[in-house]
Amino acid sequence: MTSAERHPLFVATGTEQVPDRPALVGGRCTCGHVFFPMQTYGCEKCGRYGGHLETTPLAGRGRLIAFAQVHLHARPEPKVPFTVVAVALDDGPIIRALLNPPVDPELRHGDVMVAEIVSVPREVGTRPTLRLTRNATGGR
Amino acid sequence: MARHLSSLRPVYVVGVGWHRYQPPSETPYVALGLKAVRDALADARLEWPAVESTYVATARLGMACGRPMLRHLGALGRPLVHIENASASGSAAFRLACTEVAAGLSDVVLAVGVDKVSDRLRASSQIGLQSLTGSAIVPATHYALLMSEYAQRHKVRPEDIALVAVKNHRNGARNENAQRRKERTLEEVLGGKRVSGTLTSLQCTPIGEGAAAVIVASEDGVKRYGIDASRTIRVVASAANSEMVGHDENRDAAITQAAMAAAFAEAQIAPSDLDVVELHDAFTIEEIEYAEATGICQPGRFIPMLEEGAFDIGGKCAISPSGGLIAMGHPIGPTGLGQIGEITLQLRGEAGARQQPHARTGLAHMVGVGAVCYVHILQRV
Ligand SMILES: [Zn+2]
Repeated sequence: MTSAERHPLFVATGTEQVPDRPALVGGRCTCGHVFFPMQTYGCEKCGRYGGHLETTPLAGRGRLIAFAQVHLHARPEPKVPFTVVAVALDDGPIIRALLNPPVDPELRHGDVMVAEIVSVPREVGTRPTLRLTRNATGGR
Repeated sequence: MARHLSSLRPVYVVGVGWHRYQPPSETPYVALGLKAVRDALADARLEWPAVESTYVATARLGMACGRPMLRHLGALGRPLVHIENASASGSAAFRLACTEVAAGLSDVVLAVGVDKVSDRLRASSQIGLQSLTGSAIVPATHYALLMSEYAQRHKVRPEDIALVAVKNHRNGARNENAQRRKERTLEEVLGGKRVSGTLTSLQCTPIGEGAAAVIVASEDGVKRYGIDASRTIRVVASAANSEMVGHDENRDAAITQAAMAAAFAEAQIAPSDLDVVELHDAFTIEEIEYAEATGICQPGRFIPMLEEGAFDIGGKCAISPSGGLIAMGHPIGPTGLGQIGEITLQLRGEAGARQQPHARTGLAHMVGVGAVCYVHILQRV
């Protein structure tokens, strides 16, 4: 990913705790509330906005709390079957993302999940997107 | 200090009516809505001029659908307003109609829900923020994720959860206003098209259209028009809320729990007092999560009680006797009002083949994306 196509939701550089995985671009309010994705509209906890909300990288790692393999989808993309996961990030927020690979029969609740950047096709060329994958080296 | 609805003027449901919920058709919405309103007027034995004000619930028809429909009842110059609150639009319209009567601003008020299928965008796709999943997570997948989490937490199997659909299809088969009127075996439910996660198509609400209407009145209204008081049903609680910070994963159950608690406190009853309940069961897992959030049963106890028949018609508390959103259908704007109509029939003893015996207290619950939640408790006087 070049700096010219910097993505608003993730960066290739990891955090101190998880340096080898891309980080998610989260936000932190001066009240302490941590959220994803980053925005400056206002804090859901206290209502502070603008400069009170700062970008904070969230480690690209968490625990799997739920997953669903999608069999029927009205749109052409993503192609079925694909899997949606809900993951509680080490850094707090619960996020939902697509799984890579699209189907993983070994997936279990409680698995350690990590972020990775993959290229998906678009009308012309490809674009980078963030997917979550089961951590092959980590336990449960 | 702010007061509860039930501490203001008493409000009674006096008339209910439907246009059957059905798959998308060529029938204009005007015909759907008028059928429901005329049936509700006939049910209350009222004429249209008695209605002082109207709330029109719709989520998909677009701007200003009410007047082109209501004018065919007689354009009498009365106020009307449109209510959009996602799946809970009809419930929101009902609450506002009750509020207007309770406050003493009107004696007879109509709430009518009408909708047809359209592909209008949700505002959540236009908030100016990107998401990791874009349009990949449709409602079925949202609930398939909650199902995955519930199944893990309580060690239940997909075939246990599918029993909710078997019950609701059985109830819907006895409801002339239901979109799906066919009993289904567990094998049929599980053998249908797989949608998302372990959800199959017969565990998901169908796409459809329809209308439902409810007329509410004050005691003055009941007396003035000679309405049969033995058929009036009192609204004893109305609670509404929206999503709270910190409930990222299961927001619908969290707000349901809070709204249920507020409604029980207002009505001064316990969950065990309920005879009949209509829940927002667009997907099987929802009925389970919301029933447990009411306190009708303890967390994780829904399926054993369902298997014992506790939630069947004739059981301890009939849940979704109309067939619920899964079998009766979910045309969006009408749905919350249709629930009030079903509870009203049940409490009057007019529900025919799906009558819960000796029903005295009933509850209607809806959530809408956002998320918002409504709970109403009704009682036979
Ligand atoms: Zn804050």
